[in-house]
Amino acid sequence: MQFSVDVSGKTVPLRWQTVPVRWYASGQGTAADVTAPQFQLAVARAFDTWQNVPTASVGFNFAGFTSAEPLDEDGISVLGFSNEPDMDRVLGATAFVVDDITGELLESDIFFNSVFPWSTSETGVTGRFDLQSVATHEIGHLVGLGHSALGETDIRPTGGRRVIASGAVMFPIAMAAGTTADRTLQPDDVAGVSNAYPDAGFASRTGSISGRVLLNGRPVFGAHVVAFDLQTGELVGAFSLTAQGEFVIAGLRPGAHIIRVEPLDDADLESFFDESQSVRVDFRPVFYSRLVGVPAGGAPPRFDVSVTPK
Amino acid sequence: MSWWRWLAMLAVIACPVRAAAQGTGFVHRLEVTGGIGYFTGAALGTADATLRANAVSPQTFTLFTTDTTIHGSVTGELRVGTWLTRRIGVEGRLGYGRPDVATSVHADAEGAAAIAVVERIDQFVIDAGILFRLDEMRIGQLVPFAGGGAGYLRQVHEGLALIEDGHVYHLGGGVSRDLVTRAHGIVRAAGLRADARVYFLSGGVSVTDRTTTHGSFTGDLFVRF
Repeated sequence: MQFSVDVSGKTVPLRWQTVPVRWYASGQGTAADVTAPQFQLAVARAFDTWQNVPTASVGFNFAGFTSAEPLDEDGISVLGFSNEPDMDRVLGATAFVVDDITGELLESDIFFNSVFPWSTSETGVTGRFDLQSVATHEIGHLVGLGHSALGETDIRPTGGRRVIASGAVMFPIAMAAGTTADRTLQPDDVAGVSNAYPDAGFASRTGSISGRVLLNGRPVFGAHVVAFDLQTGELVGAFSLTAQGEFVIAGLRPGAHIIRVEPLDDADLESFFDESQSVRVDFRPVFYSRLVGVPAGGAPPRFDVSVTPK
Repeated sequence: MSWWRWLAMLAVIACPVRAAAQGTGFVHRLEVTGGIGYFTGAALGTADATLRANAVSPQTFTLFTTDTTIHGSVTGELRVGTWLTRRIGVEGRLGYGRPDVATSVHADAEGAAAIAVVERIDQFVIDAGILFRLDEMRIGQLVPFAGGGAGYLRQVHEGLALIEDGHVYHLGGGVSRDLVTRAHGIVRAAGLRADARVYFLSGGVSVTDRTTTHGSFTGDLFVRF
């Protein structure tokens, strides 16, 4: 899902109009056991991960170290550590400066919460969060991507959620400390960045599906719709995002797909939608009854998926 | 004269007689054949929808499991061919069927009800092959033949939205029988033909890249010009 803004009553996806995006590493904040060069190299590897997506055309340039801090509105995109003890469940966050006339991204800063233990080790360190993995997630936001709901969680006895499994780097809750899995983009991430910054042939090589999610014949807003590619096993998701319960999943490899619809119940709704939006989660997961053939450069006929109440 | 000498003499006499009765009038004649049959189904494979488990060492978490099958279907076919010699013939064939592709989706991690997801596809098989006439094995007026060939597979999903291509290879045989023969005129003969073939399909609607094996059984009416 891409972030979007309302521009003159029209929803416009957030994206950089000028690429490569120049970014700076802040020399101000520090974290235990992570030097400034280690920080810069780990973050640069995370940028490379997005830049190397073969079907996308986004790019980045490291512009140097700066004395500026992340979250300063200063016209440059800065990444760095920041000590935020009040945010005891936030590993990192991304902020934007957006041209509210055009929807163009002008600046985006990322901070990593130095309250947590961090690692830039190649293989990860038990008990420490992998900086490159978290940076890869946050840079996904920096390019304009929102959260993916491809994941399973359970509730911790002490509050909050624990990830059981995740199908996207852009899932809102991080894997456990010590894991490096989120250094590698998943098909859902690749589809997202490729849709936002498509290379020349992306649209003609991939296809899309669209339809509606209905509960008792009425549209469902905020349902999570997932397309499963039978041949590759790839999972790509999206949400029903209109008052009519409409969804679109683009960037799908041509082939036969299984469609699964589920409520958004594996993360806080605020990770995906504004509080003002009325998201329905009172229905059961269901599979669409037909196999959906996705063509290259096109779409099969729209279809409705009916869900049943919990 | 011993019994085997009688047998050898009988064979020398009988063979030309049979050949003469059969004739060679079918050689270089165009045969157009049409009929219906059955194309058997096959398992296309199993695929699991997996997520990355939250573990330091790479592990997977299965969200749900699928098993996909292409069902058998009635097929219609049209063949055009000719016998190049008394023994060797060539033919091209267009076969069309509408098999169901059914995927059983089950074992959902969040309890979604198991379901059989079905789609009816249009399946075209266009192949060409060589036939060998086995006169030595004829049974009365039934003339056996064997053959093999290769061709093109085209499977079209519902709504004509997606076309999947592949290749086919086949081996098999059958019998034919002339019902009517004429020495003159445009139509020189008409008869019946039955085929049994084994088809090997690669590509098309598939879950894995492996080749699937199908049986094809057809009954046809042919006209020879």
